[in-house]
Amino acid sequence: MTWSTVAPAVTAAFLASLVEVVEAFTIVLAVATLRGWRPAALGTTAGLAVLAGIVLLLGPLLDRVPISSLQLAIGILLLLFGMGWLRKASLRAAGVIPLHDEDAIFSAEAAELTEQASRRRRNLGWAAGVTALKAVLLEGLEVVFIVIAVGAGRGLLLPASLGALAACALILAIGAVVHRPLSRVPENTLKFGVGVMLSAFGVFWTGEGLGIAWPGQDLALLLFAALFLGAGLIGASLARKLSVEFA
Amino acid sequence: MMTMLKELAAELIGMFVGETRLTISVLVVAAAVGSLVDFIGLDPLLGGAALLFGCLILLVESVCRSARAGAS
Repeated sequence: MTWSTVAPAVTAAFLASLVEVVEAFTIVLAVATLRGWRPAALGTTAGLAVLAGIVLLLGPLLDRVPISSLQLAIGILLLLFGMGWLRKASLRAAGVIPLHDEDAIFSAEAAELTEQASRRRRNLGWAAGVTALKAVLLEGLEVVFIVIAVGAGRGLLLPASLGALAACALILAIGAVVHRPLSRVPENTLKFGVGVMLSAFGVFWTGEGLGIAWPGQDLALLLFAALFLGAGLIGASLARKLSVEFA
Repeated sequence: MMTMLKELAAELIGMFVGETRLTISVLVVAAAVGSLVDFIGLDPLLGGAALLFGCLILLVESVCRSARAGAS
Protein backbone atom coordinates (compact mmCIF):
# COMPACT_ATOMS: atom_id res chain seq x y z
CA MET A 1 0.00 0.00 0.00
CA THR A 2 1.73 3.18 -1.19
CA TRP A 3 1.00 6.85 -0.62
CA SER A 4 0.25 7.35 -4.32
CA THR A 5 -2.46 4.66 -4.09
CA VAL A 6 -3.97 5.54 -0.72
CA ALA A 7 -4.04 9.35 -1.01
CA PRO A 8 -6.22 9.62 -4.15
CA ALA A 9 -8.66 6.98 -2.82
CA VAL A 10 -9.03 8.64 0.59
CA THR A 11 -9.24 12.14 -0.92
CA ALA A 12 -11.87 11.09 -3.47
CA ALA A 13 -13.96 9.37 -0.74
CA PHE A 14 -13.61 12.37 1.59
CA LEU A 15 -14.49 15.06 -0.97
CA ALA A 16 -17.37 13.11 -2.55
CA SER A 17 -18.79 12.37 0.88
CA LEU A 18 -18.48 16.03 1.82
CA VAL A 19 -20.74 16.99 -1.10
CA GLU A 20 -23.31 14.27 -0.43
CA VAL A 21 -23.39 14.80 3.34
CA VAL A 22 -24.01 18.54 2.85
CA GLU A 23 -27.01 17.68 0.65
CA ALA A 24 -28.41 15.14 3.13
CA PHE A 25 -27.74 17.49 6.07
CA THR A 26 -29.85 20.24 4.46
CA ILE A 27 -32.92 17.98 4.33
CA VAL A 28 -32.36 16.46 7.79
CA LEU A 29 -32.02 19.99 9.19
CA ALA A 30 -35.30 21.01 7.52
CA VAL A 31 -37.00 18.00 9.14
CA ALA A 32 -35.47 18.79 12.53
CA THR A 33 -36.38 22.48 12.35
CA LEU A 34 -40.03 21.83 11.47
CA ARG A 35 -40.78 18.51 13.20
CA GLY A 36 -38.14 18.24 15.92
CA TRP A 37 -34.89 16.33 16.30
CA ARG A 38 -36.52 12.99 17.23
CA PRO A 39 -37.90 12.05 13.76
CA ALA A 40 -34.80 13.57 12.12
CA ALA A 41 -32.46 11.49 14.27
CA LEU A 42 -34.54 8.32 13.90
CA GLY A 43 -34.75 8.70 10.10
CA THR A 44 -31.03 9.41 9.86
CA THR A 45 -30.15 6.40 12.03
CA ALA A 46 -32.42 4.12 9.99
CA GLY A 47 -30.88 5.42 6.73
CA LEU A 48 -27.34 4.85 8.03
CA ALA A 49 -28.30 1.34 9.20
CA VAL A 50 -29.60 0.42 5.72
CA LEU A 51 -26.43 1.83 4.13
CA ALA A 52 -24.25 -0.14 6.56
CA GLY A 53 -26.26 -3.25 5.67
CA ILE A 54 -25.60 -2.68 1.96
CA VAL A 55 -21.83 -2.34 2.62
CA LEU A 56 -21.76 -5.45 4.82
CA LEU A 57 -23.69 -7.40 2.18
CA LEU A 58 -21.66 -6.23 -0.83
CA GLY A 59 -18.21 -6.27 0.82
CA PRO A 60 -17.82 -10.06 1.17
CA LEU A 61 -19.47 -10.65 -2.24
CA LEU A 62 -16.86 -8.47 -3.94
CA ASP A 63 -14.05 -10.65 -2.54
CA ARG A 64 -15.40 -13.56 -4.62
CA VAL A 65 -15.19 -11.72 -7.95
CA PRO A 66 -11.92 -12.20 -9.93
CA ILE A 67 -9.79 -9.08 -9.59
CA SER A 68 -9.60 -8.24 -13.33
CA SER A 69 -13.39 -8.53 -13.74
CA LEU A 70 -13.91 -6.43 -10.62
CA GLN A 71 -11.49 -3.75 -11.87
CA LEU A 72 -13.15 -3.68 -15.29
CA ALA A 73 -16.72 -3.46 -13.91
CA ILE A 74 -15.87 -0.86 -11.26
CA GLY A 75 -13.64 1.04 -13.69
CA ILE A 76 -16.46 1.43 -16.21
CA LEU A 77 -18.97 2.39 -13.50
CA LEU A 78 -16.49 4.94 -12.13
CA LEU A 79 -15.95 6.35 -15.61
CA LEU A 80 -19.69 6.79 -16.13
CA PHE A 81 -20.21 8.23 -12.65
CA GLY A 82 -17.14 10.48 -12.64
CA MET A 83 -17.63 11.82 -16.16
CA GLY A 84 -21.29 12.51 -15.31
CA TRP A 85 -20.24 14.63 -12.32
CA LEU A 86 -17.51 16.36 -14.32
CA ARG A 87 -19.90 17.12 -17.18
CA LYS A 88 -22.46 18.69 -14.82
CA ALA A 89 -19.78 20.60 -12.90
CA SER A 90 -18.41 22.00 -16.20
CA LEU A 91 -21.91 23.07 -17.27
CA ARG A 92 -22.53 24.69 -13.85
CA ALA A 93 -19.16 26.46 -13.99
CA ALA A 94 -20.13 27.78 -17.44
CA GLY A 95 -23.48 29.01 -16.12
CA VAL A 96 -25.44 26.74 -18.47
CA ILE A 97 -27.20 24.99 -15.56
CA PRO A 98 -27.78 26.64 -12.16
CA LEU A 99 -25.57 25.99 -9.16
CA HIS A 100 -26.87 23.74 -6.38
CA ASP A 101 -28.62 26.04 -3.88
CA GLU A 102 -28.78 24.57 -0.36
CA ASP A 103 -30.92 27.48 0.91
CA ALA A 104 -33.48 26.86 -1.87
CA ILE A 105 -33.50 23.11 -1.15
CA PHE A 106 -34.01 23.82 2.57
CA SER A 107 -36.95 26.13 1.79
CA ALA A 108 -38.52 23.64 -0.66
CA GLU A 109 -38.23 20.79 1.84
CA ALA A 110 -39.65 22.96 4.63
CA ALA A 111 -42.57 23.98 2.39
CA GLU A 112 -43.25 20.33 1.52
CA LEU A 113 -43.32 19.33 5.21
CA THR A 114 -45.58 22.29 6.07
CA GLU A 115 -47.95 21.29 3.26
CA GLN A 116 -48.02 17.73 4.59
CA ALA A 117 -48.88 19.15 8.01
CA SER A 118 -51.82 21.13 6.63
CA ARG A 119 -53.13 18.12 4.64
CA ARG A 120 -53.07 15.58 7.47
CA ARG A 121 -52.53 16.02 11.15
CA ARG A 122 -51.72 12.40 11.95
CA ASN A 123 -48.44 10.55 11.47
CA LEU A 124 -46.47 13.74 10.93
CA GLY A 125 -43.51 12.40 12.90
CA TRP A 126 -43.52 9.27 10.71
CA ALA A 127 -43.60 11.31 7.48
CA ALA A 128 -40.77 13.55 8.74
CA GLY A 129 -38.71 10.52 9.75
CA VAL A 130 -39.21 8.95 6.31
CA THR A 131 -38.11 12.20 4.67
CA ALA A 132 -34.86 12.16 6.69
CA LEU A 133 -34.35 8.45 5.98
CA LYS A 134 -34.81 8.99 2.22
CA ALA A 135 -32.35 11.88 2.18
CA VAL A 136 -29.68 9.89 4.02
CA LEU A 137 -30.31 6.77 1.94
CA LEU A 138 -30.36 8.46 -1.48
CA GLU A 139 -27.32 10.67 -0.86
CA GLY A 140 -25.56 7.90 1.05
CA LEU A 141 -25.87 5.46 -1.86
CA GLU A 142 -23.43 7.56 -3.87
CA VAL A 143 -21.01 7.64 -0.93
CA VAL A 144 -21.24 3.86 -0.57
CA PHE A 145 -20.59 3.38 -4.28
CA ILE A 146 -17.58 5.70 -4.24
CA VAL A 147 -16.10 4.08 -1.12
CA ILE A 148 -16.53 0.59 -2.61
CA ALA A 149 -15.33 1.69 -6.05
CA VAL A 150 -12.13 3.42 -4.93
CA GLY A 151 -11.48 0.96 -2.12
CA ALA A 152 -12.33 -2.50 -3.46
CA GLY A 153 -9.77 -4.43 -5.44
CA ARG A 154 -6.81 -2.75 -3.77
CA GLY A 155 -7.54 -3.46 -0.13
CA LEU A 156 -8.39 0.20 0.45
CA LEU A 157 -11.95 -0.21 1.73
CA LEU A 158 -10.95 0.76 5.28
CA PRO A 159 -8.98 3.94 4.38
CA ALA A 160 -11.74 5.00 1.92
CA SER A 161 -14.42 4.39 4.59
CA LEU A 162 -12.40 6.45 7.06
CA GLY A 163 -12.23 9.27 4.49
CA ALA A 164 -16.03 9.18 4.14
CA LEU A 165 -16.54 9.03 7.92
CA ALA A 166 -14.21 12.02 8.39
CA ALA A 167 -16.39 14.01 5.96
CA CYS A 168 -19.55 13.03 7.90
CA ALA A 169 -17.94 14.06 11.19
CA LEU A 170 -16.75 17.37 9.76
CA ILE A 171 -20.17 18.33 8.33
CA LEU A 172 -22.00 17.25 11.50
CA ALA A 173 -19.58 19.28 13.63
CA ILE A 174 -19.96 22.39 11.44
CA GLY A 175 -23.73 21.86 11.20
CA ALA A 176 -24.06 21.56 14.97
CA VAL A 177 -22.31 24.91 15.36
CA VAL A 178 -23.94 26.97 12.56
CA HIS A 179 -27.36 25.26 12.76
CA ARG A 180 -28.41 26.32 9.25
CA PRO A 181 -27.97 24.98 5.68
CA LEU A 182 -24.30 24.92 4.68
CA SER A 183 -24.79 27.14 1.64
CA ARG A 184 -21.22 28.48 1.60
CA VAL A 185 -19.57 25.16 0.79
CA PRO A 186 -17.96 25.49 -2.66
CA GLU A 187 -20.02 22.56 -3.86
CA ASN A 188 -19.39 22.86 -7.58
CA THR A 189 -15.63 23.14 -7.10
CA LEU A 190 -15.74 20.01 -4.94
CA LYS A 191 -17.87 18.19 -7.52
CA PHE A 192 -15.45 19.26 -10.25
CA GLY A 193 -12.53 17.89 -8.24
CA VAL A 194 -14.28 14.63 -7.39
CA GLY A 195 -15.42 14.18 -11.00
CA VAL A 196 -11.79 14.59 -12.12
CA MET A 197 -10.52 12.03 -9.60
CA LEU A 198 -13.24 9.45 -10.24
CA SER A 199 -12.81 9.73 -14.01
CA ALA A 200 -9.05 9.23 -13.59
CA PHE A 201 -9.67 6.16 -11.41
CA GLY A 202 -12.20 4.94 -13.99
CA VAL A 203 -9.73 5.04 -16.90
CA PHE A 204 -6.99 3.51 -14.75
CA TRP A 205 -9.06 0.55 -13.56
CA THR A 206 -10.87 -0.04 -16.84
CA GLY A 207 -7.42 -0.22 -18.46
CA GLU A 208 -6.08 -2.58 -15.79
CA GLY A 209 -9.19 -4.75 -16.18
CA LEU A 210 -8.45 -4.93 -19.91
CA GLY A 211 -4.88 -6.03 -19.20
CA ILE A 212 -3.16 -2.68 -19.81
CA ALA A 213 -0.04 -2.15 -17.69
CA TRP A 214 0.08 1.63 -17.26
CA PRO A 215 3.56 3.17 -17.36
CA GLY A 216 4.49 4.53 -13.93
CA GLN A 217 1.75 2.32 -12.39
CA ASP A 218 -0.21 4.31 -9.76
CA LEU A 219 1.53 7.57 -10.72
CA ALA A 220 -0.35 7.42 -14.04
CA LEU A 221 -3.43 8.41 -11.99
CA LEU A 222 -1.95 11.88 -11.50
CA LEU A 223 -1.45 12.33 -15.25
CA PHE A 224 -5.00 11.14 -15.95
CA ALA A 225 -6.38 13.51 -13.30
CA ALA A 226 -4.47 16.43 -14.85
CA LEU A 227 -5.84 15.57 -18.31
CA PHE A 228 -9.43 15.28 -17.05
CA LEU A 229 -9.04 18.56 -15.18
CA GLY A 230 -7.84 20.19 -18.41
CA ALA A 231 -10.70 18.66 -20.42
CA GLY A 232 -13.25 19.82 -17.83
CA LEU A 233 -11.89 23.36 -17.85
CA ILE A 234 -11.75 23.45 -21.67
CA GLY A 235 -15.32 22.10 -21.77
CA ALA A 236 -16.51 24.80 -19.33
CA SER A 237 -14.78 27.54 -21.31
CA LEU A 238 -16.23 26.33 -24.64
CA ALA A 239 -19.68 25.89 -23.08
CA ARG A 240 -19.60 29.49 -21.79
CA LYS A 241 -18.81 30.77 -25.31
CA LEU A 242 -21.40 28.51 -26.95
CA SER A 243 -24.18 29.46 -24.53
CA VAL A 244 -23.56 33.15 -25.31
CA GLU A 245 -23.28 32.50 -29.05
CA PHE A 246 -26.48 30.41 -29.27
CA ALA A 247 -28.52 32.51 -26.79
CA MET B 1 -42.44 1.69 0.50
CA MET B 2 -42.84 1.07 -3.24
CA THR B 3 -42.36 4.78 -3.92
CA MET B 4 -39.12 4.75 -1.95
CA LEU B 5 -37.87 1.65 -3.79
CA LYS B 6 -38.68 3.33 -7.11
CA GLU B 7 -36.80 6.45 -6.01
CA LEU B 8 -33.84 4.28 -4.95
CA ALA B 9 -33.83 2.53 -8.33
CA ALA B 10 -34.05 5.87 -10.14
CA GLU B 11 -31.18 7.23 -8.03
CA LEU B 12 -29.05 4.16 -8.81
CA ILE B 13 -29.70 4.42 -12.55
CA GLY B 14 -29.24 8.20 -12.50
CA MET B 15 -25.82 7.75 -10.88
CA PHE B 16 -24.48 6.13 -14.04
CA VAL B 17 -26.75 7.39 -16.79
CA GLY B 18 -26.58 11.16 -16.41
CA GLU B 19 -26.72 11.70 -20.15
CA THR B 20 -27.67 8.73 -22.31
CA ARG B 21 -25.48 9.60 -25.30
CA LEU B 22 -22.38 10.09 -23.15
CA THR B 23 -23.05 6.83 -21.30
CA ILE B 24 -23.47 4.82 -24.52
CA SER B 25 -20.40 6.45 -26.09
CA VAL B 26 -18.18 5.63 -23.11
CA LEU B 27 -19.42 2.02 -23.13
CA VAL B 28 -18.76 1.76 -26.88
CA VAL B 29 -15.20 3.14 -26.50
CA ALA B 30 -14.43 0.72 -23.63
CA ALA B 31 -15.89 -2.22 -25.57
CA ALA B 32 -14.01 -1.25 -28.75
CA VAL B 33 -10.69 -0.94 -26.89
CA GLY B 34 -11.29 -4.28 -25.14
CA SER B 35 -12.07 -5.99 -28.46
CA LEU B 36 -9.09 -4.46 -30.24
CA VAL B 37 -6.68 -5.49 -27.47
CA ASP B 38 -8.13 -8.99 -26.97
CA PHE B 39 -9.04 -10.08 -30.51
CA ILE B 40 -6.95 -7.99 -32.91
CA GLY B 41 -3.83 -7.98 -30.75
CA LEU B 42 -3.53 -4.19 -30.53
CA ASP B 43 -0.67 -3.04 -28.29
CA PRO B 44 -2.35 -2.63 -24.86
CA LEU B 45 -0.66 0.74 -24.37
CA LEU B 46 -2.17 2.03 -27.60
CA GLY B 47 -5.50 0.69 -26.41
CA GLY B 48 -5.02 2.54 -23.12
CA ALA B 49 -4.24 5.77 -24.94
CA ALA B 50 -7.36 5.32 -27.10
CA LEU B 51 -9.46 4.76 -23.97
CA LEU B 52 -8.03 7.82 -22.20
CA PHE B 53 -8.22 10.25 -25.11
CA GLY B 54 -11.55 8.84 -26.28
CA CYS B 55 -13.07 9.63 -22.87
CA LEU B 56 -11.52 13.12 -22.80
CA ILE B 57 -12.93 13.93 -26.25
CA LEU B 58 -16.35 12.51 -25.34
CA LEU B 59 -16.45 14.65 -22.20
CA VAL B 60 -15.70 17.91 -24.02
CA GLU B 61 -18.14 17.01 -26.82
CA SER B 62 -20.92 16.22 -24.33
CA VAL B 63 -20.42 19.50 -22.44
CA CYS B 64 -20.44 21.52 -25.69
CA ARG B 65 -23.53 19.72 -27.02
CA SER B 66 -25.42 20.32 -23.76
CA ALA B 67 -24.37 23.99 -23.80
CA ARG B 68 -25.73 24.39 -27.36
CA ALA B 69 -28.97 22.61 -26.43
CA GLY B 70 -29.31 24.53 -23.16
CA ALA B 71 -28.78 27.87 -24.79
CA SER B 72 -31.09 27.35 -27.74
